[in-house]
This record gives sequence, structure tokens and C-alpha cells, in this order.
Amino acid sequence: MTAARITALLFLAALAGCTAEQPSPQPGSVDEAEVPKPAPSPAAVAPVPPLQPAAPTVAPVPPLQPAAPAVVPVEVAPTAPPVERAAASPETPTVAPPAKVAIAPAPAPKPAGPPPLDIKALEQRLKDTSAIGVFTKLAVKNQVDDLLEQVRAMHQKRAKPSTAQIRQSYDLLIMKVLSLLQETDPTLARDIVASREPLWGMLADPVKFASIN
Amino acid sequence: MYGHMKLWAAMAMAAALAAAPSLSFAAEDVAKDLTKDLTAVIALLGLPCGQVVSATPRGKNDYNAVCKDGNRYRVYTNAQGRVVAEKQ
Repeated sequence: MTAARITALLFLAALAGCTAEQPSPQPGSVDEAEVPKPAPSPAAVAPVPPLQPAAPTVAPVPPLQPAAPAVVPVEVAPTAPPVERAAASPETPTVAPPAKVAIAPAPAPKPAGPPPLDIKALEQRLKDTSAIGVFTKLAVKNQVDDLLEQVRAMHQKRAKPSTAQIRQSYDLLIMKVLSLLQETDPTLARDIVASREPLWGMLADPVKFASIN
Repeated sequence: MYGHMKLWAAMAMAAALAAAPSLSFAAEDVAKDLTKDLTAVIALLGLPCGQVVSATPRGKNDYNAVCKDGNRYRVYTNAQGRVVAEKQ
């Protein structure tokens, strides 16, 4: 008899627990439980379109067009029962971010690089660096002086080497210097790479070259 | 008195032994920098060498360099201030 009473009490307690869970008005659990039940066709279609606009975000121009259809299902939602409206409201933030992401890449400003070095600054940086030895610095200086003499002769029309030949010598010298610096002083190497064309512009222009001297 | 002298001698010996490795490392670094410098100079001048393995000073800014490939050069600064590598 007592065993039967105990089982009956346990059964009653379990029943009471089940009935106590039903009336709890938690919006999250109710939404998840009730969304599949009504399954109205406009609300069921509404969650699907927001997934499609995610793909066009790769291309910068089209995302604005899919964003408009994505908003329409949200506006249709008020016609649905309140439970469906609650289900649609958490999806609105998922719709909004793709539109913002699509707009963001358009104004992407590039960071400005270091200002190009002029001949004097480059000479000073090469003198100051501890990446190369004294003999090497002297050898580089000799070769820079040789190149400057060639350029001077070209501008004064004293010698035959053409601009193309001098440009080749210049490129070769820059490569030699870079090979010396790229391991031990990468910052100076980067600055020289960035200044390569401006430096040549100064050498090739007779007026600018005269101002250097 | 004799005990104190012994102690001082032992301390001096210990200090010398402790400093000896760092001095030898510093000398090695200087030699390494010099061979690297001479390697770069010979390469800049477009001469075959590979890598300088040893260098012997001949005077101020004047060295005999031995390359890994067997070539030997005298690297020095001439009267005009130019760096020259002469094959020996």
C-alpha cells in the first residue's frame, strides 16, 4: 500500500511539474515552440531572403538592391499574429548588418607611405647605418660618385652614355645597396625602394640635378 | 697577511677566467664583421669570391682576404680614397 502511495505521489509531483512549466511566459521558449506550429506562408518566406543578400555583399555595387527586398518582409510581418512578429523582430538585426558592410568598403583610405628620400638624406642614412661596414660604405660611396659623374657628363653632353645606360647603372647600384641592407636594415631598404623613382627623377632632370650639386 | 694575499689572488684568477670568454667572443665578433665587410666589398666590385673566410691586416685600411673559393685579394683604400681589391 505504501509503495502504491509513494508512486502515486511521485506521479502527482511529476504532473504538477509539467503543468507548472506550461504557463511560464518566457518569450524565447514560446517563440521557438510556436513558430513551427502556425507556419504561415508570409512569415516562413520572410526569414529565407535575408540569407540571399549575404552573397552579393562581395560585389560592392549590387548589395543596395537586395537590401530593399530584405526590408519588405519585415514590414509585412505586422499583418501576422504577435507571436510571429516577435519571431521576426530578432531577425531584423541580421538584415541590417549586410547593408552596413556593403557600404563600408567604398571609402577605404590608403595610409600614406614614407616621404621619398633625396640624395643628401640617403647619403646621411647610409653613413649612419650600422648594417654595413666601413669598407662597404666607402665602396658604395665610390660607386655613387661614379654614377653622379656619369649623369653630370650626360647633362653636359660631354660623354656618350645614354639615359637608358645610366638608368641601368642606377638600377644595378640600387640593387647592390638593397642586397646589402635588406637583411640588416630593412627600414632603410624599404625607404630606398620607395624613393627609387623620385631619386631617378632628380638625376634625370638637369635642373633638379644642378640644384643637388 | 699571507692568507689575504692568497684570497686576493684567487679572486683575481676567478675574475680573469670569467672575463676571458666574453673577450674572446668580442674578438670573434670583430673578425666576423671584418670578413663580412670584405665579402661585401669584393662582391660590390664584381670579383669572384663567395665568402671571405679569413682576413689579415697589412696596414691601415689594408687587408689580405682569403675567399672560400680559394681566391686571395688585397683589399685597401688607395690615395684617391677608392676601395680597391687586387687579386693576389
